[in-house]
Amino acid sequence: MIGFDVVGFLISWLTLFGIYSILAITLNVESGISGITNFGKVVFYGIGAYVSATLTTYLILMLNGIDVNKTPPYNINGVILLGELGNKNPFLNIGLFILAVVLSFVVAGLIGYLLTYPILRVGPEFVGFTLLSSGELLRIFLTHYEPVGASRGLMAIPNPFGWVPDSRIRETLYLILVLSFLALTYFVMKKLVNSPFGRVLKATRDDETAALCMGKHVPRTKATVLSIGSGFSGVAGVLLSYYFTSVNPNMFVPAVTFNAWAMIILGGLGNIVGSLLGAAIITFVDRALTFIIPLLGTTIISPDYLRGLLVGLLIVVVLLVNPKGLLPEKPIETPASKEVEKELSEKGR
Amino acid sequence: MSNILEVMDVAKYFGGIRALDGVALSVPDRGLIGLIGPNGSGKTTLFNVITGFYTPDRGSVWFKDSRGRWRIDGLNPNEVFRKGIVRTFQTPRLFKSLTVLENLLLTPIGQRGEDVIKVFYEKAWREQELELARKAVRLLKTFNMLQYANLKASELSVAHMKILETLRGLMTPASLYLLDEPAAGVDYPQAKELFSYVKKLRDEQGLSFLIIEHRIEILMEFVDYVYVLHNGRLLCKGKPKEVISDPRVIEAYIGV
Repeated sequence: MIGFDVVGFLISWLTLFGIYSILAITLNVESGISGITNFGKVVFYGIGAYVSATLTTYLILMLNGIDVNKTPPYNINGVILLGELGNKNPFLNIGLFILAVVLSFVVAGLIGYLLTYPILRVGPEFVGFTLLSSGELLRIFLTHYEPVGASRGLMAIPNPFGWVPDSRIRETLYLILVLSFLALTYFVMKKLVNSPFGRVLKATRDDETAALCMGKHVPRTKATVLSIGSGFSGVAGVLLSYYFTSVNPNMFVPAVTFNAWAMIILGGLGNIVGSLLGAAIITFVDRALTFIIPLLGTTIISPDYLRGLLVGLLIVVVLLVNPKGLLPEKPIETPASKEVEKELSEKGR
Repeated sequence: MSNILEVMDVAKYFGGIRALDGVALSVPDRGLIGLIGPNGSGKTTLFNVITGFYTPDRGSVWFKDSRGRWRIDGLNPNEVFRKGIVRTFQTPRLFKSLTVLENLLLTPIGQRGEDVIKVFYEKAWREQELELARKAVRLLKTFNMLQYANLKASELSVAHMKILETLRGLMTPASLYLLDEPAAGVDYPQAKELFSYVKKLRDEQGLSFLIIEHRIEILMEFVDYVYVLHNGRLLCKGKPKEVISDPRVIEAYIGV
C-alpha cells in the first residue's frame, strides 16, 4: 500500500458521496415518504448531465467563434479544441455552470412534472414500470442521437474550476461546490418534510383514498414532490458531468436508480439523515474497491462482482438486525410537535 | 327550523340487492340524530351516498350551508368534505404510520403550511399550526389520551383507534358530522364521555350530528331523534322513547 493517496481518496469519495446523496435524499422524499415508487431516478440524473454537457460544450465552441456545424464537440477535432479553449476564461466557465444548473433544474423538473400525468393515475407497480422504462427509453435515445455524440457521448466538458492550474486545489474547490449543493438539497427536503405539507405526503403514502376524502389534493401534491425531486436530481446530473468531464449513455443504466434505492433502504426509508449515511457507506465501498481491486490481481471471481456482493451482503445484514434500516423514520417536527412535547413534559412533572 | 341535511327518496342497488330503497331522512340545524337498524339494513350505505362514495340510483341529497342549499349527491368525497361534511369510518381508517398527533393535525383543510411555497416561510403557518396543536391537545386531554400523542396510530388499542377516528373528524371545522359507530369497541365510561362531548359541541357550537350506533342504550340517552332502517327502507322514526318501544323495531332487531 505504498503511496496510497489518502487525501485524493477522500476528495473523490466525498465528491461522489455529495452527488449520490442528492439522488438518495430526493428519492427518499419521493419514495420513502410520499410512496411514489420511483424506479426512474436515472432519467432526471441523465437529463441533468446531458443538458449541462451539451450546453457547455456547444456554447464554449460557439463563443470562441467555431462553426459547430463543421466541428461539432463530439468529433475528435471538437474534443481537441475543447481541451485547448475550454479552460481559459474563469468567468465563462462559472457562468456556464450556473446556466447549466438552472436549466437542468428546470428541464428535469418539468419532465418530472409531465411524467406524473400518466403515472399518478395508476397503481404503484405501474408507476415503477413506467418510470423504469422511461429511463431505458432515454438511454436508447441518447445512444442513437448524433448531436449529443450518440454512443460515444460528449467529452472534454470544461469544469467550472478547469482554469485552476493545481489539480488538488481544483478538486477541493469542486468538492466544496458539490457539498454546498448537497446542503441546499438537504435543507429544502428537510423543510418540505417537516411541515404540514410533509404530513400530507406521509398520509398519502399510508392511505391515498383516505387522504383524498379529507380534501387533500393528492395528485397535485405528488406531482409537486416528483418535480422538485427531479429538479434536484437534474442538478446532481450536472455535478456528475462536470466531475467526470464526460458523459455517455452507459453511465445512465437502471443500476444507477437501484444504487440510490440501496442507499435509502440501507439508511432507512423515510429518514433523510439515513439517506446521507446510506450514500456515504455505499459510495465508500465503491471508491475503496476501485483502489483495492487493482491490487487483488487474479481472483476466483471477477472483482467486478465484488461490489454487488458487498452491497447486497451489507443490506441483508442491516435489515436482519434492524428491518427499518440504520436510522428508522421519525415523526414530523413542526412547531406543533414541540408544543405537545412541552405539554407532555409538564404533565410528567 | 330548517334542515342542514335532507335525503330525499334515495335508492341504491347492488345488482339485485336493494341496499337502499327509497329512504328519506333529514337532520335539522343543531340536530343530534341517531340512525339505527340491524346489520345489513343500509346505514353505512346511506353514509356512503351522502359523502359521495356512492352515487345514488334514485333520489337526491341536499346540504345547506351559510351560502345556500346545495345538491351534493354525485359529488366526489373530497368535494363533500370541503362543503363541510365530515364522516368517520366504522373500521378506523387512520394513517397508520403517522403519530396520534399527526393524525389529528392532518385533517383540517385550508392549512397554509400545505402550500409548497409557504412551507419555506414558517411565519406564514406557524401560528395556525400552534393553534391546531392546542386544539389537538385539548381534545386528547378530554379523552385522557394525551400520553399517546407521539405513539403511532397503529400502536393504539382498538378502542383508542376508534376514539381517535372520531377526534380526527372533530379537528376540522365542519357543520355536519356523520359518525359511523363511534362507540363500537369502546368501554362504557369512555363511550359515554364521547357522546357527552358530542352533545356539548352541539349545544355550545351549534354543530349537527348524524350518528350510526349499535349500542342503543348509550345512543338513546343523548340523541333527540332516531331513524330506524330495515332492509334498505325506513322502518320508523321518532323520539328515542317512542322508537325503543315500537314493536316493529323490536321485531326487526330480535326477529320475532
